Amino acid sequence: MKIVVIGAGQVGSTVVEALHDEHELTVIDLDGSRLGPLSYRHDVSTIEGNGATRSVLLEAGIKEADLLIACSSRDEPNLIAAMLAKKLNPDVRAVVRATEVEYLEAWHERQLDVDLVVSSEIETAYAVSRTLGVPAARQTDVFAEGQVQIVEFDVEQTAGDHAVIGRPLREARIPADSKVASIIRGDSAVVPRGDQSIQPGDRVIVIGSPRAAQEWSSIIAGDRPRLDDVVVYGAGRIGVAVAEHLLRQGIRVRMIESDRDRARLVAEKLPDARVFNATGIDPDFLERERIGQSRAAIFAMRDDAKNHYAATLARIHGVGFTIAIVHEPISIEVFEQAGVDVAVNPRQLTAEELVRFAHDPRTQQVAMLEGDRYEVLDVTVRPESRLVNTRFRDLPMTGSLIGAIVREGKAIFPHGEDVLLPGDRVIVFTEARRAAEVEQAL
Amino acid sequence: MRLTRARLRRAFRRETFGVDVAAALDLVGRVLTVLGLAYVVPAAVALGHDESPWPFVTAGLATSGFGILVERLSGEQMRIRPREGFLVVALIWLLVPVFGALPYVLSGEAQLASPVDAYFESVSGFTATGATILTDIEALPRGLLMWRQFTQWLGGMGIVILAIAILPRLRVGGRQLLMSELPGPTEVERLSLTIRETARRLWLLYLGLTVALAGLLTLYGAVGLDDAVGVYEAVGHAFTSVAIGGFSTEAESAAAFAPLTQWTMAFFIAVAGINFLRLYRLLVVRQPRAFARDEELRLYVLLLAGGSLVLFLEILGDGRFAGEEAIRHAVFQAISIMTTAGFASADYVQWGPLAAVTLVGLMFFGASAGSTSGSIKVVRHLLISRLLRRELDQTVHPEIVMPVRLNRLPVDEKVIRAVLAFVLLYVGLFAAGALALVVESFRVATEVTPFEAISAAAATLGNVGPAFGFAGPFGSYEPFSPLSKVVMILLMWLGRVEILPVVVLFTRSYWRA
Repeated sequence: MKIVVIGAGQVGSTVVEALHDEHELTVIDLDGSRLGPLSYRHDVSTIEGNGATRSVLLEAGIKEADLLIACSSRDEPNLIAAMLAKKLNPDVRAVVRATEVEYLEAWHERQLDVDLVVSSEIETAYAVSRTLGVPAARQTDVFAEGQVQIVEFDVEQTAGDHAVIGRPLREARIPADSKVASIIRGDSAVVPRGDQSIQPGDRVIVIGSPRAAQEWSSIIAGDRPRLDDVVVYGAGRIGVAVAEHLLRQGIRVRMIESDRDRARLVAEKLPDARVFNATGIDPDFLERERIGQSRAAIFAMRDDAKNHYAATLARIHGVGFTIAIVHEPISIEVFEQAGVDVAVNPRQLTAEELVRFAHDPRTQQVAMLEGDRYEVLDVTVRPESRLVNTRFRDLPMTGSLIGAIVREGKAIFPHGEDVLLPGDRVIVFTEARRAAEVEQAL
Repeated sequence: MRLTRARLRRAFRRETFGVDVAAALDLVGRVLTVLGLAYVVPAAVALGHDESPWPFVTAGLATSGFGILVERLSGEQMRIRPREGFLVVALIWLLVPVFGALPYVLSGEAQLASPVDAYFESVSGFTATGATILTDIEALPRGLLMWRQFTQWLGGMGIVILAIAILPRLRVGGRQLLMSELPGPTEVERLSLTIRETARRLWLLYLGLTVALAGLLTLYGAVGLDDAVGVYEAVGHAFTSVAIGGFSTEAESAAAFAPLTQWTMAFFIAVAGINFLRLYRLLVVRQPRAFARDEELRLYVLLLAGGSLVLFLEILGDGRFAGEEAIRHAVFQAISIMTTAGFASADYVQWGPLAAVTLVGLMFFGASAGSTSGSIKVVRHLLISRLLRRELDQTVHPEIVMPVRLNRLPVDEKVIRAVLAFVLLYVGLFAAGALALVVESFRVATEVTPFEAISAAAATLGNVGPAFGFAGPFGSYEPFSPLSKVVMILLMWLGRVEILPVVVLFTRSYWRA
């Protein structure tokens, strides 16, 4: 495969390292001094220039390329490069690194014509909540004014739940008002019939009420003790993303930020977090706020050394579980030496996610899940539809699933005896190639 | 000598002077010019009742003439900047009632012969207060009575706002002007509209509500549900209800009407106490849920309900009324006093001390920001209570950063400070006003009890209207001495423009470049 990589920083280098053996790589960076070492170490061609311009992209051979990985540290050039590439070569696939969550959301809503957007903040937040044992939904889509949610979960390898996981679905105690829409295992999707079961390591897609989605979250989490109080040091972008993620899981979050204005800004943005304007290394403060009693602390300050010191201090004060966000690859070892429980490298995570897309057809599908393979339809049933007044148990089995009905503004999660009425709004989860068929039938 | 004159001249040149007085006067002139047209309404009513329209015609010509004169003298039209806005608002609310008082004086009506009395009545009208010095309301000619009602309607939503809405090519810079006149700290509202569009919406809704209430009341009269209501009463009370004013054409205020009419009036007053910008959005966007989630609205309704309940228990306890009557008087009076309308469905002066204290307490709440009500406004109470909670939190957690929130959105610290300053000034003025009334009553040896003085200060500063004692709802402010009346005129004026625009005029930095 011919791959063009924009950006030769930490993420770019990691990507190159992982892909240079099997693929033909061209690396573009504005800073020539970063390209030199890279080209000595690996057999890649390099171009010094702005990857977000047509001339440079053409020079890099975008017309013959199969994949563009735009992973410079700045969002907008990455996006422009991807869009230009798509125009110059409609067959190229483009993956983009973006830090701004807005772009990620725009991509989810298909307003950005790229194949994958990876946000280091979100990846980090997800990794942190996974290590804390509160697996956040990978993605949540909301329908019918929030009454219906479609949620994507990764089932933990360690999840050993009794009533749902590992049992045939017809026997599993699935939370009320929810349905399993799809199970992704390895590189294929399993149609969730009654005899199928959810296994550890699967990725499941669930349609249900917000409450059911919460129940699913705790089922997936397995047996670990539930966290209720977490301290996040540093209210930078990563710290905020982590805090947001945890808050959404209903965990109490306290944030410590030394910059006054930043603290104020974050306090305004996150009404549910308690934000302190403090350095986090003042023993009086730690004592007064009983920081030592919180279950876990995450160190997301900008400086690895500061994180190191604060984490050690927090451990002295009695914090049980510490997670450090690292910025330099070498710091991982330092933190491990210092007794920090987990060290997370956002750039590493981002690079991994980008590489996975290039490498592994399975993740490719997962990434495409919302994009190409499956669609969620929100349609109103016409009176002349042949399915009107049919009981749900008698509806033909086609692999599509009616997840919910919105009748008179209220969401109903249908059972076998329920009947489809004209004028119902239905939320249908279906394979993309069947979407037209489903729309016609209704 | 020559040197001094030169220095004087230099001091008044625009460059060394921070405020463009000419530009402010120009706008005041323009507003007065247009205001002259308003006299058509009472003149027509007078003609319809075979009364002389001349007091109104003369007053109208005088108003417009003066306006044109000022406009001419102030030279070419200049831009109103935020700083001039304060001066414009303060001046307009002083000057407009002067011209509004002309018909009272020109009519030769004995009750209003004294200029102070006429000016008091006029200020009470334009500021939508509802305090009156009349002792025999129904003795007034119909045209003059309608003018009284109409001044409240004109002043209720704001004269400058009206001018912005209807005058073509009025070059108004900044939002200061609109914000100074629109009651309440509306800065917390994120306005994305142009000033003119905002002004139009406010007045459109205001007009709509008035027409609806007038129509409804007329209908009651026409189908015999309430024999006391004719078209005249219906329109007159629609004006003062939607303006949250409180003037009535009846000596007995709302007590002259049937229960159904009272309920309807109470409902419209309560609605007019809601933020008009939000109300407008509700009508256009139709998202009742988002509307009902507004924290100020919730507290407003809660306070009305709480006030009604306390009054109800008090009335019931003292055995004055029972059943529907007790509920009606409690609800009507709670709404009327808290929103600062000041109508009366019964003579609450006769009620017990608990009711009296409750009613005076309610005078300090007011209704929502961006409504036509007076007083402190619910949202300011809400913000201050949040501020107090934060202070308490910060004594335990000194490092915590906690923005004060309203409807989950953070409120700018500047707004909080302004609210705090306003409430402090308000309470200070109230205390000073009450003190002045007591001192003055000693001086001229009139019988004013401390409670009467306190309630009168609260009722005028809060633009409520009737107070307690002889100045109660069926009484009159007439017995107060002229100097007391001047004090209360100042209180009404300050209350209407929400103090700060006036206070700012007395600071040196305001006038400096």
